[in-house]
Amino acid sequence: MQQRVCIVGVGLSDGPVTPELNGVMLEAQAFRRALDDAGLEKDDVSGLASAGYGGMHEVALAEYLGLTPRWLESSSVGGSSFEFHAMHAYRAIQNGDVDTVAIVYGNNQLSASGRTLGTGGGGGGGRGGMALPLPMAYEFPTGLTLVGAYAMAAQRHMYEYGTKPEQLASIAVQTREHAGRNPRAMYRDPITVDDVMSSKLVADPLHKLDCCVISDGGCCVIVTTEERARDLPHRPVYVRGAAGGTTHHSIAAMTDMTRTAAAVSGPRAFAEAGITPTDVDVFAMYDSFTYTVLVVLEDLGFAAKGEGGAFVTDNGGNLRLGGALPTNTDGGGLSGTHPGMRGLFLLCEATRQLRGDAGDSQVAGAEIAVAHGSGGWLSTQGTVVLGTEGA
Amino acid sequence: MPDRAMPDWSDVPKWLLPRPTLEDREFWEGAGRGELRIQHCSSCGRYQHYARLLCSHCGKQTLAWVTASGEGTVYSFTVIRQNGVPPFDERVPFVVATVDLDEDGARLIAAMPALDPGEARIGMRVRAAFRRAGDEFGFVDFVAAG
Repeated sequence: MQQRVCIVGVGLSDGPVTPELNGVMLEAQAFRRALDDAGLEKDDVSGLASAGYGGMHEVALAEYLGLTPRWLESSSVGGSSFEFHAMHAYRAIQNGDVDTVAIVYGNNQLSASGRTLGTGGGGGGGRGGMALPLPMAYEFPTGLTLVGAYAMAAQRHMYEYGTKPEQLASIAVQTREHAGRNPRAMYRDPITVDDVMSSKLVADPLHKLDCCVISDGGCCVIVTTEERARDLPHRPVYVRGAAGGTTHHSIAAMTDMTRTAAAVSGPRAFAEAGITPTDVDVFAMYDSFTYTVLVVLEDLGFAAKGEGGAFVTDNGGNLRLGGALPTNTDGGGLSGTHPGMRGLFLLCEATRQLRGDAGDSQVAGAEIAVAHGSGGWLSTQGTVVLGTEGA
Repeated sequence: MPDRAMPDWSDVPKWLLPRPTLEDREFWEGAGRGELRIQHCSSCGRYQHYARLLCSHCGKQTLAWVTASGEGTVYSFTVIRQNGVPPFDERVPFVVATVDLDEDGARLIAAMPALDPGEARIGMRVRAAFRRAGDEFGFVDFVAAG
């Protein structure tokens, strides 16, 4: 018989600016806090997942933390890696392969690299000597940037569906409103659509305020069996469904730039959880850019294809508290925390909401939350549905 | 005329030069002599860029190099206004486009250095223009057609 699977602990490191901590220190700090939150000790952890540092990082991290896990996971598919980790941990725990898994990520990207990473700067000028993986060998000499790849996708959506830059901007505005309630967010002062539209264009149609911040930070989420969860201090948060997928690596190979793999992962995860989009009370969405949110809102079925812009702005702003789908209630990556990859922070915020621990940002009576990661250049998509016990 | 005076993109820093592999030397050498070389699949009849061992459309290993017409349509574009990497930092703003070649199934990302950023449009017809990249190789840019 399959085990039911729960998130029982979450931890955030210090942040969003921590020049005194390196990436692994941030991971260790978040791990310790998640253990404390879960009421567990390190030797209760029998599985470890991490990504973002290249080969064998999760092995090095295990050694650093003094762990000897029998289950290891290092799917490395960009910022959504952690939704894949959660999905794989869920399956493994369901099947009894492992009991308690810690998913860990931390990076001091801001302090180490500076703020202009997404436009090729900050890394120290060029990629001298480094062989470019296919198909980047073709893209890099064109001067395309990471922001530019997303911008081309946004431009196509505007062309096909009449989506307006002001609608994209509204996503940043509503996310900033959430950030204003989170002392840990990088930027908290309210902004307007005009502020976004008058911020510097980085790659048309994306302005500076359409882009996520670069911060430092670490996060840890602990997943275990329902049986063990019953003995632990917090109200368990159940993993109800999960799915992932990819459509491309380089943006050129994204055949339809207005549709991501979320159009497949979302319905699969929702079906497993036995829910429809209208059942979702709170949404934690990887907001690398405003467009990422818009296209995935459509792909997951919260809005019809092409109507994401209207969905975002209707009802005085559907992503706000009180809107149809409060989204990124911690301030997201657009205003809150984005240390290179954000996928794990989505699971953390969704869990806090379902426990009723989200303080001023609490969505009243939240019972179903979706954490959705997008990695690469809209390349990989991972959907995880979480619910309270009764949901 | 949508094109502006062609900026000087002739200086290619050494680290940016193509490093051909077993698979893609034909592409880079073709560009060096002014030809856009792509692969055609005799099984499904479609084309692909970049070069691979198998057809990405049908999976068959029935590919042959052909010279493309060099003509295509802009599927999408952006105007790069911030790029921290030399020499691009001094070239901004410039257009980068996703171009669907007239050869079905082949798409590539290309710079359009000569295009006035205000003139870029999805759906515009474009044609390949070639730029030297060292002694043997070339880059494929695009310019407005006609």
